[in-house]
Amino acid sequence: MINFLTQEPQNPQEPPPWDGVAPPEIDTWGQLPKLASDFHDVDGLFYFTYAVCIFFFVLIVGVLAYSMVAHRRKTWDQPALSNFTHNTPLEVIWTVIPLIIVMIMFAWGFKGSLDMTTTPQAAKTNTYKATAKQWNWTFTYPNHPTPSFGEVYVVADKPVQFYLESTDVLHAFYVPQMRVKRDVIPGRFQSVWFTPHFTREHTGDGPRIETMHLFCAEYCGQDHSRMYAKVHVVEQDYFDTAPWDQWPADDAPLEDLVKAGEGLYKQQCISCHSVDGSPGTGPSWKGLFTKDANGEYVGRQREVLVGGAPQTITVDDAYITESIYDPEAKKVAEEPYVRNAMSVFKPDTIDERRVKGLIAFMKSLAD
Amino acid sequence: MTTQTPVIDAPTTPQAPREDYLNCSKGFMSWAGTLDHKRIGLMYLVGVGIAFLCGGLFALLVRLHLWEPEGMLFSNVDYNKIFTLHGAFMVFLFVIPAIPGSIGNMVLPLMVGAKDVALPRLNLLSFYLWLSGAVLATLAIIMGGFDTGWTFYAPYSIYTDQAVVTIGLAIFILGFSSIFTGLNFIVTVHKLRAPGMTWFRLPLFVWALYATSILQVLATPVLGITVLLVAFERLYNIGIFDPRLGGDPVLFEHFFWFYSHPAVYIMVLPAFGIVSELVSVHSRKPLFGYKLIAFSSLAIAIISFLVWGHHMFTSGQSTYAMFAFSFLTFFVAIPTAIKEFSWVATVWKGSVALNSPMLYTLAFLVIFAIGGLTGVILGALNVDLHLHDTYFVVAHFHYVMMGSIALAFFAGLHHWWPKMFGKMYNEALAKVACLIIFVGFNLTFLPQFIMGSRGMPRRYASYVPEYAPYHQASTIGALILGAGVALMVFYLVSSLFTGKKAKENQWGGVTLDWHTATPPVHLNFDEEPKVIHEVYDYSTLDMESLQRDAT
Repeated sequence: MINFLTQEPQNPQEPPPWDGVAPPEIDTWGQLPKLASDFHDVDGLFYFTYAVCIFFFVLIVGVLAYSMVAHRRKTWDQPALSNFTHNTPLEVIWTVIPLIIVMIMFAWGFKGSLDMTTTPQAAKTNTYKATAKQWNWTFTYPNHPTPSFGEVYVVADKPVQFYLESTDVLHAFYVPQMRVKRDVIPGRFQSVWFTPHFTREHTGDGPRIETMHLFCAEYCGQDHSRMYAKVHVVEQDYFDTAPWDQWPADDAPLEDLVKAGEGLYKQQCISCHSVDGSPGTGPSWKGLFTKDANGEYVGRQREVLVGGAPQTITVDDAYITESIYDPEAKKVAEEPYVRNAMSVFKPDTIDERRVKGLIAFMKSLAD
Repeated sequence: MTTQTPVIDAPTTPQAPREDYLNCSKGFMSWAGTLDHKRIGLMYLVGVGIAFLCGGLFALLVRLHLWEPEGMLFSNVDYNKIFTLHGAFMVFLFVIPAIPGSIGNMVLPLMVGAKDVALPRLNLLSFYLWLSGAVLATLAIIMGGFDTGWTFYAPYSIYTDQAVVTIGLAIFILGFSSIFTGLNFIVTVHKLRAPGMTWFRLPLFVWALYATSILQVLATPVLGITVLLVAFERLYNIGIFDPRLGGDPVLFEHFFWFYSHPAVYIMVLPAFGIVSELVSVHSRKPLFGYKLIAFSSLAIAIISFLVWGHHMFTSGQSTYAMFAFSFLTFFVAIPTAIKEFSWVATVWKGSVALNSPMLYTLAFLVIFAIGGLTGVILGALNVDLHLHDTYFVVAHFHYVMMGSIALAFFAGLHHWWPKMFGKMYNEALAKVACLIIFVGFNLTFLPQFIMGSRGMPRRYASYVPEYAPYHQASTIGALILGAGVALMVFYLVSSLFTGKKAKENQWGGVTLDWHTATPPVHLNFDEEPKVIHEVYDYSTLDMESLQRDAT
């Protein structure tokens, strides 16, 4: 059997993405995780319907169980006790009463769904974007340049809206404790909204963070079950420190800056620029800088095109900064780099501090 | 008086077995080329039985893998292929064709008093189309399988580099098997009823198969076209479903579910028909509310075309669509509830025989109550937004598909087994197997409701550790269920070789199928029956036939 059952069983070297996330508390009746949003109608209608179901189940099983004993055939030729085939009052009752009950359920459910699909103004002014791709989540914040990967921070008691986009196949955004789920459809924007709340008491001294599960709930291939994200419900003050975006302070040691720069390189630049000289969509970063006799970093010379005319320039901090924000200004005069275009980076997605980190990383490659 | 040779009463030569449909002709071609609906039904039984066991094997592999949160047996890709195969085999090769193809074929002509179905050659063709679909599905496995889920959602089913076109072709062919069977049954019921067999003297199994046949003929072509569109999209990049070419993935969902919702009624209506027959015979009492049960089958068939969107509530439907689909979903629950109540009322104050077919039927009534009621939970819009694509849905549909339909299939097998083979299986073992299956089934799927509403998504090869106890309970249940099914297969098959002779009328039925010889002769009836009394009139029951061995 070609290709079937030839792959190794999964023995991941790394812990699963949900490692360390405490399971949610379960509600009093035991069927739902503790509600962390305002969609109480989901829980109310769920348990109401459950109760109705249990009632009818007990009724049906009770009648059958009684009949199995009381009306049991004891001799092989025993006829039925009664041959009734109709009972109009009974038939009317068991048609009308269930009809009334299901219409109540329908109306309650419809009203609840209107609430969940109508985004209030407060959530519209707090819109995030969740980008789903095989097999991870990226979250973009309304007023902060840096996205977060595999986790998202929301502010407790503040309504939030998520625009949902997919760059490949169907996915679904599902946060059980918020009771929200929406398919993420390539080629289309969808949105969900909710107001997150804390469900647990705050213990300990640190900032108050409650982490909840976000699952992909539409089958999307190989690692569908690993496509997980953490939803951190936090307080406004802590949120304002942008905890997902920790860049070394200006007075941090150089090696921290180099390390942060390397991390950013791996997130955003590695797909086009190598560090070992191998060709890519963009020029390699190898050999941009060299060390002189005093151990100072000196940029090398390179041929670039300025307004179409070739010119020789020396690599320095200003040149690199300009090449990130305005890559067409001084393009490297080699094929295929002359023709290829670079992704757009502006100070709102890569700020000056981050550019400094990239430059520090480039310098650390100096030979 | 001269000495006379004593007249010998007992024959000195061993009596030749009476000719019946099983022994009237011999040889491979007498089966492979048969036009006898009973033999075709038997061939279907063997085929769908094997498909069921394969699908069950895949299920056991799924459940064993999920014993551990990180997955115990397979890589993610292989697990995804196995759950896909479980669904595809079960739905397309077993649940949809099994009851109409096997029990339906065997019993429908007998019940209407006919010699055969209206179109016997078409019937044989239907079987070979089923067989071809099964062969192609097996080929798809050999070619490496496919991991799209049995629902083949686009655009993943368009992009994935697997045997999607092959399995698509298999489904296309299986669709025609279903359509032709439906057509055949409709014509048979209209044209071949015996004199005196008015519509309201038809057994309810016939009404059920009639409603099913309407669905088969009208809905299945939509699936065929959808599968063709997926194949063309993959081969020729047309851009119907692929958003990169301007297509719409949600359109696939609409096309797919437009068939697949009526399909679940194709699956369940015949099961309802079996239950109607069995509660009557084994309570020796006419059906409560016969006309309501008959009409409710038709009502369910019609409304089933209008609810497909309830599989897609999270896809961003308009408010109007959500309103309509949810409303009609609740509405279709009412005729179904009427049936359940009517069956219970039929048992009440009957002469309730607790034999194995009745035990399977009673198990159905209990399990279907849960399955149907949890469908009502899912019909509520806001609740469904939480429960969609979780194990709650998996539990719901297994309660109706496995616990109800498969159990009704088993019940029907046990009920008509003595009629079809003239042999009885071991009744004590049958009761034990029924109990094991009931316990195993509930242990497998009840925990799934709980972990589903607590957030456990479906189609997951690995999961968050807090669900582990539920998964493990479910796996143990599956092993018990498997053991029960294995026991059932064992005693049923052994009965063919070592079973006791059945009675002429093993259970005391009064419908025309019980007025045939046991097993029936090739053309079913020695002379054309004339129906002179109502359908479930047990005062006409010839009590002696319950005691007499079949000849």
